[in-house]
Amino acid sequence: MPAAMTRPGLCRVEQIMGTAITLDLADDLPPERLRELADQVFAWMREVDARFSTYRADSEVSRFDRGEVLLSEASADLRFVLEACADLWGATDGFFDAYATGRLDPSGFVKGWAAQVASDRLLAAGAANHCVNAGGDVRVRGFSPSGEPWRIGIRHPWDPMATCLVVAGTDLAVATSGVYERGRHVLDPRRGAPAGGLRSVTVVGTDLGVSDAYATAALAMGAAGIGWLDRLPDHTHAVITDDARQFLSTSLPLTD
Amino acid sequence: MRRAFLAITGLAASTTALVVLKGSPGTSQVAQDLPAAQPVSPTPQGVDPSAAPDAGPAGTTPKSSVSAGAPSSPKPSRSTARPSGTRTTAKAPTAPRTTTKAPQPTTRRVTGPGVDNEYGYVQVQIVVSGNRIVEAVALSLPSGGESDIHSGDVRDRYNGTGGEVVQKQSANLNTVSGATETSNSYKQSLRGAIEQAF
Repeated sequence: MPAAMTRPGLCRVEQIMGTAITLDLADDLPPERLRELADQVFAWMREVDARFSTYRADSEVSRFDRGEVLLSEASADLRFVLEACADLWGATDGFFDAYATGRLDPSGFVKGWAAQVASDRLLAAGAANHCVNAGGDVRVRGFSPSGEPWRIGIRHPWDPMATCLVVAGTDLAVATSGVYERGRHVLDPRRGAPAGGLRSVTVVGTDLGVSDAYATAALAMGAAGIGWLDRLPDHTHAVITDDARQFLSTSLPLTD
Repeated sequence: MRRAFLAITGLAASTTALVVLKGSPGTSQVAQDLPAAQPVSPTPQGVDPSAAPDAGPAGTTPKSSVSAGAPSSPKPSRSTARPSGTRTTAKAPTAPRTTTKAPQPTTRRVTGPGVDNEYGYVQVQIVVSGNRIVEAVALSLPSGGESDIHSGDVRDRYNGTGGEVVQKQSANLNTVSGATETSNSYKQSLRGAIEQAF
C-alpha cells in the first residue's frame, strides 16, 4: 500500500474561461471544509465566465456590448469591471484598452480580477495559505504546503517546458502577458497594429487584475513599456524582449 | 484496495515508463500544476518514475511494502512486473539518483491522445502518484510561427553568451506564471489521459 499523501490541504484543477484554473489550498482544515471552499472558488469562476465571456452571445458582457443591457441595469460585478477598466485605461496612457479590438473585451482584466476575488474570499473565510492560478495569472498568500513561501516560476518565452525565473513570496499577484502562446494578439491601441519588441512581460504586485492589465499594457507599449514599468509604484516586473534580453526590477522578489 | 491496484499497475507502468522515457528528451512540466507531496520541477529530472518502485514508505524492502497492501491481489505479481535481477540489488541499477529522493508513493505516467488544432499538435501526459495527479506534462505543443522564427534567431545570435540574456532556470516550483495556453486541445488530451489513468 503506498503511503498516503501527507501534505495538508487540497489541490484541484478545472477548465474554465478556456483555460486551466488551479487552486491549491495549503491550510490544514477538515477535508469537507476544504472541499466546500474549493467548490465556492470554482462556482465563482464559472459565474465570472458566464457573465464576462466574450465567446458567449448570452453573457452579460456580450449583451451589454450589443446595447441590450443598460449600465444602470448591469450587475454590480459588471459595473465594477467597467469602472476598473476605465481607470486602467487612464493609468496606462490608454495602452490597456478594453475596446482595443473594436468591441468590449475586458478579458485582460477579468481573469486576474476573478482570481483575486477568489483569493480575497478565501482569506476572509479563514484559508490564509493558498495559491490560485488562473491560466498563468497567479495569486498566492501565506505559505505553501511545505511551509515555505510559494515559489512561482515564470515561463521561459521560447520553451514551454522551461521556466526562466523564479519569484517567491507570501503575498504576491504575478501576471504574465506574452506573445508566445497566441501570437501577437495584443494590439497597440494607438496604431491598431500588433505590438512589437517585447516577448513576455511579468508584473508582480498585490492586485492580480491590476498586475494583469499592467502586463498587457506594457506588452502593447513595446520597448517603451520597460521604462513605463520602471516608474510604476508598488509593482515590480520582469520583461523579456524579442531579442531575448531580460530586464528586471531590482526589487523583484527573485529566488534561486 | 483501489490503492493496492494502483500500486501494482503503477509498478508496471513506471518500469515501462523508465525504459520508454529514458529515450525521450524534453518531457517536463508545461505550466500550472501541481505540487502535491513535494513541489514539482520544470525539468525532466524533477519527477523520476524510477524513484517510485524502490521507495518503500519506511525504508522497508519493496516486497514487503507491496505484500502488506495487496495480499490477495489478482494482478500480476511483482516479479512479473519488474525485470528480474533488479530484485537482488534492491535499487534499480538505472537510477542512481534514487538515493537523494524522499520516499514517495508509487508514481506512474499516462499519456493522453494526440489532438490536432489549427496551431499544431498537442499531447499531454499526466503523472499519477497514488490516486492524485501530481504533474501534467505537454509532450507536444504547437510550434511554428513566432516561436520558431525567434528561437532560431535568438540561438544564432546569443548562443553561448550569458549575462542579461534570458536563461533557463530549474527549480522546485509550486506553480508557473505564463501567457494563456491553447487550451481546448490540451483539455482533450488531458481528459484522455485521466480517463486512462483512473
